[in-house]
Amino acid sequence: MSRKGRRILWIVLAAVLFAAVGSQCAFLLRHPYFRKYAALNGISLREARDVWGKPDRDAEQILGMIVEADAENWEKVSELAARKDLRSEVGTYYYNLSNAMLGRLPDRLMDYYQPFERGLFLPVGPSSTPFKIACAGDVWFQLGYMPLAERDAMLGLLFSPEHNGSRYLRRLAETNLVTGEHEAAAKYLRMLLNGSRADRKWARACFPENWSQPYRLRIAEKRNLMPQFDLVHGMDQTPLILRILLSANQTNRMALDYLLCYDLLTKDIDAFVGDFDPSLTRSPLYEEAMLIFLAAKGGMNAENFAHYHISEASFQRFNRFVTIYKRDGGSGRNLTEEFGKSYWYYYYYAVKNETK
Amino acid sequence: MKRSKLLLSALLAVLLLSCGRPYDVRPAGPGTDRDSFIFPDYTDVTIPPNIAPLNFYYTDPEGKEFTTHIFANGRAIAFKGREVVWKEKIWREWLAAAAGADITVESAWSSGGARQFRRWTLHIAQDRIDPYLTYRLIEPGFEVWDDLEIQERNLESFSVRVISDWRHTGNKCMNCHIHSQGRGDLSMFYLRGEGGGAILNRGGELRKLTLKNDTMISPTVYGEIHPDGRYGVFSTNIIIPAMHSEGGRRMEVFDTASDLCVADFDGKRMLTFPETSREDVFETFPVFSADGNFVYYCAAPAHPLPADLYQTMYSLVRIPFDAATGTLGDPADTVWSATKRAASVCHPKTSPNGRWLLFTVAAYGTFPINHSECDLCLMDLSDGSIMDMRAVNAEKSDTYHSWSSDGTWFVFASKRGDGLYGKPYFSHVAPDGTVTKPFLLPQKNPHYYDTMLRSFNVPDLGNAPVGFDAATIGKVWKEMPAESFE
Repeated sequence: MSRKGRRILWIVLAAVLFAAVGSQCAFLLRHPYFRKYAALNGISLREARDVWGKPDRDAEQILGMIVEADAENWEKVSELAARKDLRSEVGTYYYNLSNAMLGRLPDRLMDYYQPFERGLFLPVGPSSTPFKIACAGDVWFQLGYMPLAERDAMLGLLFSPEHNGSRYLRRLAETNLVTGEHEAAAKYLRMLLNGSRADRKWARACFPENWSQPYRLRIAEKRNLMPQFDLVHGMDQTPLILRILLSANQTNRMALDYLLCYDLLTKDIDAFVGDFDPSLTRSPLYEEAMLIFLAAKGGMNAENFAHYHISEASFQRFNRFVTIYKRDGGSGRNLTEEFGKSYWYYYYYAVKNETK
Repeated sequence: MKRSKLLLSALLAVLLLSCGRPYDVRPAGPGTDRDSFIFPDYTDVTIPPNIAPLNFYYTDPEGKEFTTHIFANGRAIAFKGREVVWKEKIWREWLAAAAGADITVESAWSSGGARQFRRWTLHIAQDRIDPYLTYRLIEPGFEVWDDLEIQERNLESFSVRVISDWRHTGNKCMNCHIHSQGRGDLSMFYLRGEGGGAILNRGGELRKLTLKNDTMISPTVYGEIHPDGRYGVFSTNIIIPAMHSEGGRRMEVFDTASDLCVADFDGKRMLTFPETSREDVFETFPVFSADGNFVYYCAAPAHPLPADLYQTMYSLVRIPFDAATGTLGDPADTVWSATKRAASVCHPKTSPNGRWLLFTVAAYGTFPINHSECDLCLMDLSDGSIMDMRAVNAEKSDTYHSWSSDGTWFVFASKRGDGLYGKPYFSHVAPDGTVTKPFLLPQKNPHYYDTMLRSFNVPDLGNAPVGFDAATIGKVWKEMPAESFE
């Protein structure tokens, strides 16, 4: 080949290389969370694209919420959720979880798409996707219920592309550190020690002899949430599990809010009233729910309003809702704008889409 | 020249980096899943003369300058380094030379500025072990599967053959493979779901069977093939999965109903009997006696579950079996009383030589794999006495056992160590009932179990390879119609 030919060849090769690198960089800039999610699942970017395809903007947002939730950056999860209400179970699940971690679950519940209870707890069953199953344990871990946190991490690992994602190994290690099963934790810590630099650093810090004061506190806090007695229950008895958590620790505010929101999203007002202790938690959402109950059962009096912290403003607003509702013969068309984010509106007009 | 040297150095650096780091063996020591100075812990174990090399590694994270000197019958060999990995040919020579005797091992290493030293032995038994082991590889505990496979491992080497897998069966669930009395030519397992059935292997001929009729509460679940090969005895179970709320106790499974039945493989009929189909009794885990004249099974008074789970305890009972007609007689004799012992029996297995009955004892229930209190129990069938099994049992679940075809070795799945992943351990039984410290299934890479995230489910010994493989099973799944039973 002539000198000129070689030069042209080099230029072409350099251009191809430049284009490939440029394309990769552009992809990474547009989808930073996709790469991080792939890393959490123990696979490369290329493998991730082969397995999951190219993500769109909505997928990138969901993956961002998962990645930030994994790092427990709850403000960031909330910020990502605020970008767009994706009207997806996983999106709402992380929206709710971030709000719960920031102590505002009931206050923000009605601001977002709520696919009934599936936005609080992702169902794990034969029809669940591996993607959802992999996320399902995050809420159980934060609630302090290690049996299901561990189960879902195990299933996440089982369904992950290479069956070895660090997201699941770290959760498995930590659930066993919380329950005191250090032999089991050792298995996962050893695997992480033979993983990436970040995994090695994380694992070293989790050796009980290396626990920092904040980490010691974190484990102690989780242990404090765990049930103190054994009860055998079905896999899908969510309200029962939340009540078990509350009987172990009445101050588990997150479990209480999840239980109350579960009751409300399933429109089980009687269960809500049974579970609601106004001395432990309060929210405009709970006021709205109590007004439905009191109006139906005949308890709209000052004594009940005081007991359930129902404000005069809430009462007046409820009256206005009922007036319009009756005037329009049950139609919601004139209620949407003013009351679309109230529990009353959800209670009367939300319809469960069983096909989703 | 200078540039060439630079390039060479850079190349060497890249090569060195790409060699990777050595295995990080932490955490190790008391309170971890590596509490012995070597893993697997092969110290003072008894092994068969036909086992694959017992490769191991030293667990001391701070240790260095490891040396291992091995002696037997005037021979000596030395290894240097954390990992001790034998060449298979040399190992076989050593075993042949030391059969019936001991191999002495001297381990030495430096740690914390001091030299450490241990002397230990490997006892080589005269009795050979059946050379094949089948097991299902599955993630532990939650009855969910993906990429399942059943493997057959040659215990005399490290070769593994897949005898059924997800690739050939549409990722269907499959249950564990069992031999009849350790025979490679008489075995079965289930393929579940569409296109599935009980896969019966008789002399290499495969059949796909639907072992269910209208009188049974479910398809067959647990069971065993009669030594003659014509019949099988099975339980039918309504199985309910549940969870314990206490951390670490994990999943529980119980039956809300269970009965026994007999399958006549030649007559294509299912036989049920009043004595073993009672609504007020749960019956499960049936197996034949070595001579095929009795069926041993577990029975408990029916309880409302899960409310009475802790009170549900199964006794071990025995009922006559007539191999001429395929019928279960009555009455059933209680062999081991749950009421007297305040415990629950699972998974009875009779030794093919007729001498022993090995079973699992847990505090309650019928799903001992997550019960850390669950231990193996060995009964001498000649007089009903119970042998001392302290050398075998560990502080974690020990269950799912099977016998070699001559009744001198048994294998079981133990969760010792991490408490989560079942691994196959082997133990020898002497004629006087003395059992030996079990040893873990050896692997070519001694770090194999460090990264293994699946349990060895229902390890089952066989004296010969089963005459099929995953591709054959794939054809059976796709093309062979299931035979229905009346």
